[in-house]
Order: sequence, then structure tokens, then C-alpha cells
Amino acid sequence: MWNDYLQLMKSEWMVIIVIFILLFLKLGKKERNTESLLHFINVLLFINLASGFIYHRDGSLFGDMFHSNSLLAFEKNVLSLGTLIISMQSFHWLKNHKHILEFYILLLSTLLGMFFMLSSNNLLMFYLGLELSTIPLAALANFDLEKRVSSEAAMKLILSSAFSSGLLLFGISMLYGSTGTLNYLELSQQLTGTPLQILSFVMFAAGFGFKISAVPFHLWTADVYEGSPVAVTSYLSVISKGAILFVFVSVLYQVFHHMALAWYNLIFIISVLTMTIGNLFALRQQNMKRFLAFSSISQVGFILIGITGQSAAGSASVIYFVLIYVFSNLGAFGVVSLVSALTGKETVNDYKGFYKNNRVLSWVLAISLFSLAGIPPTAGFFGKFFLLLAGAGTTHQSGGQINYLLIVIAALNMVISLYYYLRIIRAMFMDSTEQPIEKIKSSFSPNLSFIICIAGILITGIASGAYNYIYSLVK
Amino acid sequence: MTASQIIFYLIAAFILGFGILSMTTRKIFRSAIWLLFSLIGVSGLYFWLQVEFIAAVQIVVYVGGIVVLIIFSIFLTQQSGIEMPKAPFKRTIASVLTVLFGFAFTYLLISKNNFQAGDGKFNADVSTIGTRMLSAGEQGFALPFEAVSILLLAAMIGCIVIAMKSKPEEK
Repeated sequence: MWNDYLQLMKSEWMVIIVIFILLFLKLGKKERNTESLLHFINVLLFINLASGFIYHRDGSLFGDMFHSNSLLAFEKNVLSLGTLIISMQSFHWLKNHKHILEFYILLLSTLLGMFFMLSSNNLLMFYLGLELSTIPLAALANFDLEKRVSSEAAMKLILSSAFSSGLLLFGISMLYGSTGTLNYLELSQQLTGTPLQILSFVMFAAGFGFKISAVPFHLWTADVYEGSPVAVTSYLSVISKGAILFVFVSVLYQVFHHMALAWYNLIFIISVLTMTIGNLFALRQQNMKRFLAFSSISQVGFILIGITGQSAAGSASVIYFVLIYVFSNLGAFGVVSLVSALTGKETVNDYKGFYKNNRVLSWVLAISLFSLAGIPPTAGFFGKFFLLLAGAGTTHQSGGQINYLLIVIAALNMVISLYYYLRIIRAMFMDSTEQPIEKIKSSFSPNLSFIICIAGILITGIASGAYNYIYSLVK
Repeated sequence: MTASQIIFYLIAAFILGFGILSMTTRKIFRSAIWLLFSLIGVSGLYFWLQVEFIAAVQIVVYVGGIVVLIIFSIFLTQQSGIEMPKAPFKRTIASVLTVLFGFAFTYLLISKNNFQAGDGKFNADVSTIGTRMLSAGEQGFALPFEAVSILLLAAMIGCIVIAMKSKPEEK
């Protein structure tokens, strides 16, 4: 009995233990060497990640409210890995911050919320996990305590997430009203696609749309990303979005699969809009964080294509792409974070002539951007390839036809995105300016995170094992 | 029409009437007070349904907590005695149309939905709720209960950090 609680909830226990270690550290002695503290926390996060790989089991607990299997364990490992990378990258920013322990306590509470959300088998637990993963994030967005923009970002984040939670909750309550259950399995048997259930799905999709910032629910994204500290921005755009996409895939396929004909068109239109509008806005951005915000919106559009696939291939391609997206986006955000923490420069123009003094960092940023754009030797290409294969291929909803329209739109969008990714690369390598950014003295933790990101981008692309492994888990 | 139905319609009229008053009054403080009455009406609806616990929660949380918060924030930010400007005619038309559309839409959806009648067995006394809240087995809610406690811990820490941010240079 107790064995079950320990083994199935292993990743949750680990995060809770780390949170409490940090809480007791905070309550204890006052003055600490911040650098050694940060290294200690990184080791804790590494132990948390490593424990995710050993010994997982399938099963459910708490009257089927919580379940665990190897796919969920894999998804949790992806999120833990991303958190570790972000923690290493924000070393220079946190070194001078007064509230390091609180930062990590809040960060890990959101991670715990994501774990609960992933493992939930019940809409109540799902909703609580979602709230646990967004409310502390608003406090985190305010962590540049002296800056007004940071407070503004936190305010916008909490208001928009409260509004989206409201919509989601309304959808959930209508589902409960029309079926009388919150359990995924029972829901999926009772959902037949009556008008009330379709309306509740629309509410549901709108709530999710806010969280993954799909167009037309994307308006908060750019301001929040620009105002928050870079570490929080990368966490929002990679980890939080990744977790919600994982959940969205499983909820769509598990709970709403009888209503597939109803949601296929909705997701299709949202994905086309998201790709196109995200791309068009990204073209004009001068601030690197805003630029990455809009690029992440258009990446979400691509991910939604994969979701329309509605099969094991769709699910696997989305999870595979999120894995790649963690590496590529964190590579790009890592460089931006380092430059921002040490020089305070954040616009595209500041990056002119970046290659002159910072060769390695330029290559890291360039490879990450290539991967985001989807250029072949990097993993990003394969990620987008599998997404298109799943979404535009012969599926049940599209009547067994290959969806040429979707392929054409996606191809056009890839061309546009190539332009703006290459604009950054051109600024770094080819443009020259009188005062390029000085040589940046990085330290061990950020360097290690860059090695992990680049290795991830190259290996997950070339080794076909990664996709096959995820596919086998989904099946 | 039975007595129970008459009571239901009375409560419903009470809720809606005060709701409309709270939307149309020109003074923001009065609007909050009308909202208070409307929420009391909702708790009356719960009493009518014989779910006393939910009704008590409705009074404690909404009437006692949320409306008081709203009144506090009105006193802290607005000059509560001043009349708000009258809404322009165009906006009135637009909002009336929105309300009518929303009402028609909801009515259509609900009337088309095939609701199943319950079996009448519904046990909502406080001891059952308490037992299920803390039981970890079938039909138990121990896990959500613990998740909420962690959420509150995180929210509290976040509040403290943000509220402590004043005077960074003085030390």
C-alpha cells in the first residue's frame, strides 16, 4: 500500500522534498554564499532529474484520480530537464538577486503543479494542477523587483490567466453538468457531442488557447515575455507551454475523442491563424525577448498541426517536437539571458557584430535559431517534418485525403520564419558596428547548459531512436 | 404550480432583480451592495435545494469574503459617492443585444440537451463531506486537498516576496 504511494508518485515526492529542503534553508541561517547555494540547488535539481529515469511503474492511486505510466514519466523528465537547464542558465542573473530560495520554491511549485496536471485522471485534479502551475508564475514574473515593467508583466499574466481559468472552469462545469462525472474514462464514454458539450469544448479550447498563447488568445504574450526576467520568460515559453501541450494532447485524445469531428476544424483554423499571425508579428520585432515570444507563438501553430493528426503519430510527433523545442528555445534564451544579465542589452541591433568577440555564443545562438527555423541537420527540421506528416497525412477526419492546403500554408510560413531567424544570424555574423558587445565572461553552469542544448539539438535530430522511443511509449 | 415551484421562482426573481439593479445603478458602492443581495439570493437557492453546506459556504465565501474585498477596493481606489457617467446610447443597444443573444443561445443549448433525472439519492451532510475530503481511497479527495495546501503555500511565499520589495537601496 505505502509502496504504491512512494513508487507511483516518485517524481512528485522528489519535487516536494526539494521544495521543503529549500524552505528549511530559508528559515535557517541568514547569510549564505550565493554561488555555492546556486550550485547546491543545481545539484538538487539534477538529482530530481536523475531520479525520474529509474524505476517507473504503471498504476493509479486515490480512486483513479492520479495515474502514472512510462509516457508520463518521460514527459515529466523532459520538464525536469528543461527546469535544470533554465536554472543553470540563470546563474548570472540569480547571483545578484536577494531572493534566490523563494525563486526556486515558486519555480518548483509550478513544476509540481505540472506533474499533477500531467498525472491527473480527473478534471478536478487537472484544474488544480493548472492553477498550481500558473499562480506562482505570476509572482515569478515580478521577480525583477525594482522594475515597473516586471510588475506590469505579472499583473497582465495574473489577469489573463485568471480570465482563461474562468473560461476553462465554465467549460468543465458544463461538462460536469451534462455528464455527471469528472473522471476522464467515464467522461469519454458519455461525451457524444451534444450542443452543450460542444460549447463546453469551445470554452475548454479557449482556456487552453490562452495558456499556450494560440491566436486569437495571444495578446498577453509579448508584454509578459518582455517584462519578465529572462529566466522566467524562458520558463513560460518552454516548460509551462510544453506541459500544457502534453496535457492538451492527452485530454483531446482521451476525453474528447468521440467528438473528433467537432474539434478537428477548430484546431485546424486556430493552427493556421497562430502560425501566420505569429510569424507576421515576429518580422517586426526589435527586442530579442519579444521576438522570441512571437516566434514561440508560431511554433505553437506548428504543434497544433500535429495535434489535428489524432492518432498515435500525432501524439508522438507533438511530444517529440516539444522535446526538441526545449533544447532549441532554451539554447536561444540562454544566450539572450546571459547577454542581458551581464550587459543589459536586449535589442536585435545590439547583436550586430556579436560574432567578433563572442564566437562560441554566436554559434550556440545560430544553431538554436537554425533548429527553430527547421533547417535540416538540426533536430528542428525533423520535428516539423513529423508534425506535418501526422497532421497533413491521410487521417480519419480529413476523409482519407492528404491535406495539401495545410502543407502549402505551413511551407509559406516556414519561408517567412526563415527570413526573420536569418535576420538575427545576419546581424551577428555579417553586420559590423563600432561598438559590438564585449567578450562575455561566462561561467561553468551556463556553459554546461549550452553544451546540453547543442548536444540535444544535434543528437535528437540525427539519432532516429528518439522518435521511435516516444512512438513506442505512445502506443 | 406547487409551493416549491413558487418559492423557486421567487428566489430566482430576487437574484435576477438585484442583479439588474447592480448593473444599472450609477453609484459604484450601491452596485456592490446590490451584488451582495444577489449573492444572498443564490445561497437561498442552495437552501431550497437542501444542500445546506454549500449554502453556508456561499455565504461565508461570497457574501462574507468577496463582496467585502470588493467594497474595500472601492474605498481604496474610487470616490464612492460620485455618480458614474451615463453609458452612451450605442453602448446600451450593443449590451442589450449581447444579453439577448446570450440568453437565446444558452436557452437553445439547454433545451436541446437531454438531461437525465437523478436517482434522488444525494447525501450532502457535513460529516460525509468531511470524511470524503480526507479519504484517500475510492471517491476520496485527499489528493486535491493536499494540492490546494501546496498552492496556498506557494501563493503566500509569492505574496511575501512581492510585498517585501520596498526599500532595496536603504540597507
